[in-house]
Amino acid sequence: MAMRAFVLRHIQLPGQTLTATGSKPHPQWYLRASLRLFSSHDDHLTKEEVIDRVLDVVKSFPKVDPSKVTPDVHFQKDLGLDSLDNVEIVMGLEEEFKLEIPDKEADRIDSCNLAIEYIYNHPMAG
Amino acid sequence: MAFTLRSVKVPPNSASLEEARSRVFDFFKAACRSIPAIMDIYNLDDVVTKSQLRSTIASEIRKNSHVTNPKVIDLLLFKGMEELGNIVEHAKQRHHIIGQYVLGRQGLVQDLDTKDEGMSDFLKNFYKSNYF
Repeated sequence: MAMRAFVLRHIQLPGQTLTATGSKPHPQWYLRASLRLFSSHDDHLTKEEVIDRVLDVVKSFPKVDPSKVTPDVHFQKDLGLDSLDNVEIVMGLEEEFKLEIPDKEADRIDSCNLAIEYIYNHPMAG
Repeated sequence: MAFTLRSVKVPPNSASLEEARSRVFDFFKAACRSIPAIMDIYNLDDVVTKSQLRSTIASEIRKNSHVTNPKVIDLLLFKGMEELGNIVEHAKQRHHIIGQYVLGRQGLVQDLDTKDEGMSDFLKNFYKSNYF
């Protein structure tokens, strides 16, 4: 895949094709502009996007004070939520990123850090 | 829709409070995961959002949070699963869902006219519920 991209980036067609005498030669074409990568390896979410969306989900939770939400806030210790609220936030994240988080992992997530890390490392995060 | 879609997953005995607790969370997750289907079946898209429904389910669960006997928790879970099954297999109707889970108590009380403004607190409480 990388080889193909490399080759495509460096092909240059000759300036003069089958032109009749007197017409201007075509400008040299660079195929870089029409490069199309067919692999989906590059469409992971960026970390900033993950952080923004996770914080939005947490902030829009009705029991949470939005001004206290930072990327490393702990749900139960800093925001004063209880375990049911924790599960509810995790379900909100599942909905936002179209994931299905297995129980063992979901039990581990109890702060924004862990949530961001888990989602960023998940290959199917949308 | 299969009638056994939400068959009883709660065996009659939870050994301890911890086990009952994890069953409650499993039930809550199952309910949340079926919210998109529920919104689709009953056309609730312009009445309520998914996060509001989640909060409603959480507050219903929280109403019974003071219970400490695992057998009582099992029974409540059984009833919850039954309710969820009924809703998902379209055994209920839209007005049931809206009345029970979307509108709070205030939404079901009649509007107060001008003649009711002098109503005493006793009467207000009486209209609200049997026990006050």
